[in-house]
Formats: sequence, C-alpha cells, structure tokens
Amino acid sequence: MTLIYRLIILLLVTVFIKMLYSEKNIQNQINISLVLIPLVMRLLMIK
Amino acid sequence: MGKHRIIAIILTGVMTLVIIFTGREFKDMHADIPIFPSDDLAEVKMLSDYFEGLKNTPGDTQVYVFEGEEEGGSVLILGGTHPNEPSSNLTSILFVENLKVDKGRVFVITESNKSAFTHNDPQEGSPHGYYIETASGQRFFKYGSRATNPIHQWPDPDVYVHASSGQQLSGSETRNLNRAYPGREDGTLTEKVAYGITSLINKEQIDLTIDLHEASPEYPVINAMVAHETSADIASFAILEMQFQSIEIALEMSPKNLHGLSHRELGDFTETYPLLMETANPAQGRLRGATSAELIVEGIDPIYEKAGNAGFLFVKFDENGHPLNERVARHTTGIIEIVKAFNCLNSGKEIIIGGIPGYDDMLQQGIGAYLR
Ligand SMILES: [Zn+2]
Repeated sequence: MTLIYRLIILLLVTVFIKMLYSEKNIQNQINISLVLIPLVMRLLMIK
Repeated sequence: MGKHRIIAIILTGVMTLVIIFTGREFKDMHADIPIFPSDDLAEVKMLSDYFEGLKNTPGDTQVYVFEGEEEGGSVLILGGTHPNEPSSNLTSILFVENLKVDKGRVFVITESNKSAFTHNDPQEGSPHGYYIETASGQRFFKYGSRATNPIHQWPDPDVYVHASSGQQLSGSETRNLNRAYPGREDGTLTEKVAYGITSLINKEQIDLTIDLHEASPEYPVINAMVAHETSADIASFAILEMQFQSIEIALEMSPKNLHGLSHRELGDFTETYPLLMETANPAQGRLRGATSAELIVEGIDPIYEKAGNAGFLFVKFDENGHPLNERVARHTTGIIEIVKAFNCLNSGKEIIIGGIPGYDDMLQQGIGAYLR
C-alpha cells in the first residue's frame, strides 16, 4: 500500500516539475517549488 | 534559454538545498541519543526479545535491565510513552544513569514509543529537542510527538476501534500508545509496541508498572497518580508519603470504561500493579506562547501565569512556572514512594533501590547534576 502511495506522489512530483519548467508566471513558479518541497520529502519518506 | 527557464533552474537549486538541509534535520530525529547507564546495569534487552513481531521495525526499543544481588520483586518504568511530555523520558534516563539495585529487578524503557520520538506534532511549532547543562557539557534530548510517526504507520482510520473492548475513539488515537493496550500481535505498529510491553510484563512477571506522563496545566488530571483498583493501596500509601514531603499530588482511580490506557488494561490483562503519573507541562498546553526549548526546560509562561492567577488551571502557576527540574523531581520521588509502598505491602518481595537523588536535591542542584 505504501508503494502505491509513493507512486502517486512520484506522479505528482513529476507533473509539478514539468509545470515548473513550462510555467510563464514567476509567482506560480515560486508556488510550485514551495509545494514540491514537502512532496519530495514525503516521496523519500523523510517527513 | 528563456528567462522563465533560468528561474525554474534557480528555484530547483534552492528547493534542493532546502530539502537537503531540512531533510538532514528530520533524519537526525531517527538517530538514538547517547545514554550512559550506571555501573549496576545488568543488560540492555530489546522489546523484540519479548515479541518477535517488533524485530527490525521502528517500534523496537531498548529495555534497560538492573538486577540486585538478592531476589525480590520487579518494577517496570515506562518513559516516553508520549515523547512531547519530556519529564517522562528524562526521569527514565535519570534512573538508567544513576540506579543502584540491592534487591529485586528494575526494568526501564526510556523511549516506549520510539517511533513518536522521530517527529513532532504538526502545527505545534515544537522544537526537535532541548538542552541540559551537565558536568560533561551540554546534552541534547529529544522532544517528539504524542503519536507514532505517520511515516511508520498510516493511514489513520476515521474512527479508531480499540481491539479488545470495541471502544470508539477519534482516528488519530490509532497512533497513541496509551490507547493501544493490551495491544495486538497482528495489529498496527502502535498495537504491536503495546503488545510487546504486555509480553514483557507477562514473561518477566513484573509486579509493578509505572507509566510516566505530563499534561497541559488546564487538563483536570494533573499532578496526579492514576491507579487501577488493584494498585489503589500502593498509590494511597505513596501519595500520603509525598504529601508529608509537601508535594501536592492527588489520587485518581482508573475509569473502568475508558479503554486502551496502561492503568486500565495492564491491570485487567496482566498480574502487574499499574500506576500512571502526570506532571504539568506548559509547552504542551493550548494557552502557551512561543514554543521554545526554554519553555520546555524553564516551564515559565506569562499567559499561564495569568490563567493561574485567574484560577483557570488545575495546578498552581506563578512566575516560577513548572521547570523540568521540578517535574522530573516529582516523578522521581513518586517512583521511590511507589516502590516503598509496594515493599510495605509485599514483604519478602521487596525491591531495594538507591542512587536516585531526592526531591529537594534535584530542585537545588538541577537535573543536570545527576546526568552523566
Ligand atoms: Zn501522556
């Protein structure tokens, strides 16, 4: 079950990173990177 | 390369740095802090020695075993059931580092819910730990969460159904060790830890189990000893002795219909006499100001002082607050008096211990003087 959970997070992280590189609004780019920090830490099961 | 691409690269760099630095801090919470046992330590066991199911899990924890020359009774001290209640963990460490046992056996668990020591409660702004000055320099101690780390046990159900009674509680209580007793072999990690502790009590035939806690100053059950019916005599004796020493403490009987708690289930499911003690921790309360390491150690908070003056609290609260020294001294004296009371009522099965500082010494010298 934890594996499926982490796969979902991995999917989200991939989508957000793609968005970070395609987004044209700086404010949105900053928001995306803020969202990515806890997501990546959960993906790595750190926090 | 476009401007937005460069910004994206910079943001990726910043993000990575934040993840590395904070991630390292979070990872550090998973490491054990050093403890320096007294010379009387017989051996360090693991909870998984009593219940295999805990082996290689984040719930497995050290059990410090002390044995006297003479055979006698046995006591188990549970520290760190709730790692956001620091006097509990610190009192158990103080015992491990100072204890001398002449008769009987003493078992000490300093991190009963080890997983809960690896994180903090969300949205509480708690520090990861606090420092105490000792003869060997400044020592760090962890300040964790009330509940098992969700990294180790998830997801929480909407309703937590206590296994042996069917009692329903809020879903987050599923990770609360003191709602999981007597535990389950095939349950959640928290239930397995509870099962491990119950197994230890059964296998070692522990006569007396003392579970140490703290509560916020506005919580009604505070500066109190909670006793199962079977341990009421021991608790009454101990409380009288403490009151003679001018330590205010009340006796609370364990409610029969409140399940999962150590003072209820360990009495119902094992032969041990279970007791639980609470001291006042302002760092845990809802009225507190900034949650800092100073608040944990000094226990001084101006809002609590106001609330205390207005008579809204269940403990006295003045400008001196409730420092960790005082809270650990209360627990320490409580354990000593409980053991003495047990000895009075169980001749031939005495547990004779020493090396533990008295209440006034701890207030004057500070707990740091008694840590290695
Ligand atoms: Zn507690």
